[in-house]
Amino acid sequence: MTVAISLSGLSKRFRIPLDRSTSLKYRVAHPRSSSRYRDLLALKDVSFEVPDGQFLGIIGHNGSGKSTLLKILARIYAPSAGSVSIQGHVSPFLELGVGFHSELSARENVYLNGAVLGLTRRELRTRLDDIIGFAELDSFVDQKLKNFSSGMQVRLAFSIAIQVNASILLMDEVLAVGDASFQEKCFEVFARYKREGRTVILVTHDLGAVDRYCDRAILFDRGELVKDGASGEVTGYYRQTVGHRSDVDGRERTAVNRWGSGEAEITDVLYLNDAGVAQTMFSSGSPMTVQIHYRVHGELQRMVCGLAFHRSDGLNLAGPNTLSGRTPITPPGIGSTGTVSYRIESLPLLTGGYTLTVNLYPQFGEESYDYVEQGFPFRVTDDIGRPGLVDLGGRWSASQASN
Amino acid sequence: MKAKELIPRLVRRGAPAVVLAPAGVDGASPQEPSPLQRQYNLVRELAVTQFRLKYTGSVLGYIWSLAKPLMIFAIMYAVFSRLLRVGAGSPNFALQLLVAVVMWQFFSETTAVGLQSIVSNANVIRKAYFPRAILVIAATMTAFMTFLINFALIVIVFVPLGRLEVGWQSLWLLPLIIELYIVALGLSLLLSTLYVFFRDVGYIWEIGTQILFYGSAVVYPLGFVPSKIQRIIVLNPVAQIIEDVRHVIVTRQVPWSGAVLGVFWFAPMLVALAAALLGLWAFMRWSPQFAENL
Repeated sequence: MTVAISLSGLSKRFRIPLDRSTSLKYRVAHPRSSSRYRDLLALKDVSFEVPDGQFLGIIGHNGSGKSTLLKILARIYAPSAGSVSIQGHVSPFLELGVGFHSELSARENVYLNGAVLGLTRRELRTRLDDIIGFAELDSFVDQKLKNFSSGMQVRLAFSIAIQVNASILLMDEVLAVGDASFQEKCFEVFARYKREGRTVILVTHDLGAVDRYCDRAILFDRGELVKDGASGEVTGYYRQTVGHRSDVDGRERTAVNRWGSGEAEITDVLYLNDAGVAQTMFSSGSPMTVQIHYRVHGELQRMVCGLAFHRSDGLNLAGPNTLSGRTPITPPGIGSTGTVSYRIESLPLLTGGYTLTVNLYPQFGEESYDYVEQGFPFRVTDDIGRPGLVDLGGRWSASQASN
Repeated sequence: MKAKELIPRLVRRGAPAVVLAPAGVDGASPQEPSPLQRQYNLVRELAVTQFRLKYTGSVLGYIWSLAKPLMIFAIMYAVFSRLLRVGAGSPNFALQLLVAVVMWQFFSETTAVGLQSIVSNANVIRKAYFPRAILVIAATMTAFMTFLINFALIVIVFVPLGRLEVGWQSLWLLPLIIELYIVALGLSLLLSTLYVFFRDVGYIWEIGTQILFYGSAVVYPLGFVPSKIQRIIVLNPVAQIIEDVRHVIVTRQVPWSGAVLGVFWFAPMLVALAAALLGLWAFMRWSPQFAENL
């Protein structure tokens, strides 16, 4: 098997100026001084190889060095020590929409952003219709980007990015941007890359995505390679050693609307798997527990917790609440916290991105304490790829009349 | 390897198909562009965009980039030529001054935007890789486009009026303008590198530009100053270029600047080359560290 990327003894040291004085006065006054700098070793003696066609996930806490590693692979940072050897063409970007200019039209931004990604105007011109079409922006080609919603901008950026013709793709937290339906699109493309045998390196906090898409995962902690192995093994180790914290860090809260009296506050919403570990990726048919954490700020007589599950386009799929579920909540006193859980034994949803509306309110028809509309995205994948939206749970039978 | 580059069509149910394959594969263009072509494409894309953005949103748009040197020229003419009677003996001095101001504007604008070109693109540098010099080249090209249009307008206006000397010697314009561009680009590379590490450079260069303005024989003919000082001033390639451009297009009565230096007539070119090489060296040396220092 050919090696796409080979790292040996790679280290990266940053000099952090303690008072950020990039002034000549300081340099002139202290020509030999280096005491005002702090050295930060972002990567310590890292060595590993990535074979051609592997889908590698890199995980770790914020500041563990995983993004630094990706920047070195993209040649944005130069290593302080060690060597990097790359066979193939590396995608030169880590994020979507680099160089986008809000005063330019969508069309002009395709040419500009495309050029930053290494595509020529000629190549882009022949693919312009495809790019705009995939981004679903056909009627906005000549509108200025500043008039686009952030979702539209991300769609445009993504459809340009997938035009890049690289055998090694680097992705840094691409999943953290955009809404659920955009993430769905991302995953479709990742899955395709995997089938095409391209080498993909994904830096993410979403352990579920690593489990699902990566062949292999590498865990970094404080600049050191801690664990390297099959993705399930590494994410399992990570979950055990650091719990679910990281999953929560990385999850994007896409809630557009939130209102309420504030007498109770939704502090966190987690999706737990059977093992009680928070994640945002679930398989159809697996158990899922929605856990709502709240804090009380006022004297409450009663409280109802209502949920609404939405498809990524906003369609309301189900709206259970504690009242209809005959589970009364006794609100605790001011300053106390509590949790409400909703357990689904076998998730009936099929492949797609979903969001959740969470509502804490006194009783039907009264003003909410806290209402978060269509936030907390999660993803469901049906392993057998059934079409549609839900598993109705029906049973098939067939009989033949014999004559 | 090759098989991996032939990427099939990405078809999403209910959405238009996207061609993921390189252009060469669907036959739109016969061969894959070389890395150099891609880099040139980026320079052009950035330069044209900056040029366009600079003038969109203002009512008069491009006119401003012409109005500015004209206004400066008018002030210079009033103060130096009329009030102080500088250049009184030099023929056609008003036009000499105009040409000099347009060339000076190019130099000062190029180095000013060149100096900023790395720091102002910090976001792009931190997120994507391409040779960093592209940003500096694109910034200087934007100023160069303005200069070429302004210069062309002078030629178009004054040649029919018979105020410009046109002949074989006019061909010297080409190497002289190239020399000016090389000096400006070299300094831009140097300044943009320094500016990443020391923000004081911004202020220093502002003052430096002012000093250089008076040391570049813009508002006076070179022959106006004592010959000892002439020899020092002409070592500044900008002074040499401005003086020589006057000689080759405005009036041939302006002597070649090299005459002042005798056998060392090429010294200003050496200075220009040294500035360019120093800038290039500094840029190559430190540009790998730009991303982490921005």
